Amino acid sequence: MHFVTGGAFNGKRAWVKKSYLVQDYDGWISAYDHRPLPEKLEDDQDLLILEGIEKWLKGLSVEYEAKQCLEIWNSYLDLWTSWEKAKTDRKIVIIGTDITKGIVPMEAENRNWRDITGWAYQDLAKRSEQMDVIWYGLNQKIK
Amino acid sequence: MEKVSSLIFITGGVRSGKSSFAERVAVDMAESCGGKLHYLATGVQSDDEMRKRIVKHQQDRAGGKHHWITVEQSVQIGKLGKYFTDRDIILLDCVTTLLNNELFISEREWDKSFLKKVTENIITGIMDIKSRAKKTIVVSNEVLNVPVDGNKLVFIYGKILGHIHQQLVKEADQAYLVEAGIPILMKGVKG
Repeated sequence: MHFVTGGAFNGKRAWVKKSYLVQDYDGWISAYDHRPLPEKLEDDQDLLILEGIEKWLKGLSVEYEAKQCLEIWNSYLDLWTSWEKAKTDRKIVIIGTDITKGIVPMEAENRNWRDITGWAYQDLAKRSEQMDVIWYGLNQKIK
Repeated sequence: MEKVSSLIFITGGVRSGKSSFAERVAVDMAESCGGKLHYLATGVQSDDEMRKRIVKHQQDRAGGKHHWITVEQSVQIGKLGKYFTDRDIILLDCVTTLLNNELFISEREWDKSFLKKVTENIITGIMDIKSRAKKTIVVSNEVLNVPVDGNKLVFIYGKILGHIHQQLVKEADQAYLVEAGIPILMKGVKG
């Protein structure tokens, strides 16, 4: 797994496209296109890109308690890890916007979402072989 | 040998020391290579707090042994380009204020053509100044590590600012992120 993060409008998508040489790619699943978190992964592709995970996490945070959210999140990470391991050269790239550095949100639901996102990113980073922070188009490989 | 007409982009959080660092870079440059120091002030003295901030920045600059020429321009900074030469060092602080001015002073509707004009005014304005001056140092703020989808104005503002920052980093010879007073070189080699 490769985790790509950074602030909003920092060029994360363009960087992933450039790094993985993909343009309009079938294996690109984006929360911004209102697609659900993939429950089952296709077998005919070796590269999957999941974009906008903060949005999926928001969806989870509205429905479940923090602890449950992270359990569900980790079960997705299990699923993705085993999909990767099932065949050599498989890879999942996960793009998530960093939403954690502003002032404390006024609304409880947004505080909750922000907390869950921070924890989920920690879990994801731990399980990723590579992690890059994108800063205005430049990448900083931090793992 | 320092390249002629270079651009340095500096950003950081609130009170990260980015302005002080930017001033230091400008002064070092003036000391080592000569050149006249110009401060491009973008702030509109809209209220008492803003006035105090502006005065504090002015006092900080006046306290040093270097003479700064302050140039006030709150919108369309490209207009200043023609006044600068390759003897001048320009410090522009900061892009977010400039963007606020461009977006809010005219009270125009944020339609596509207006937003395009705003973005162009800033990017081509800076590049115009950069192409004429000896060194141009541009300061901005780190404000995009937050949710931007909750509010349409915030979303558009973030999108434009992100686009401007990406362009500036692309054009910059050096780019720095300042964290708690410590500059991290993100692009280029130390001058």
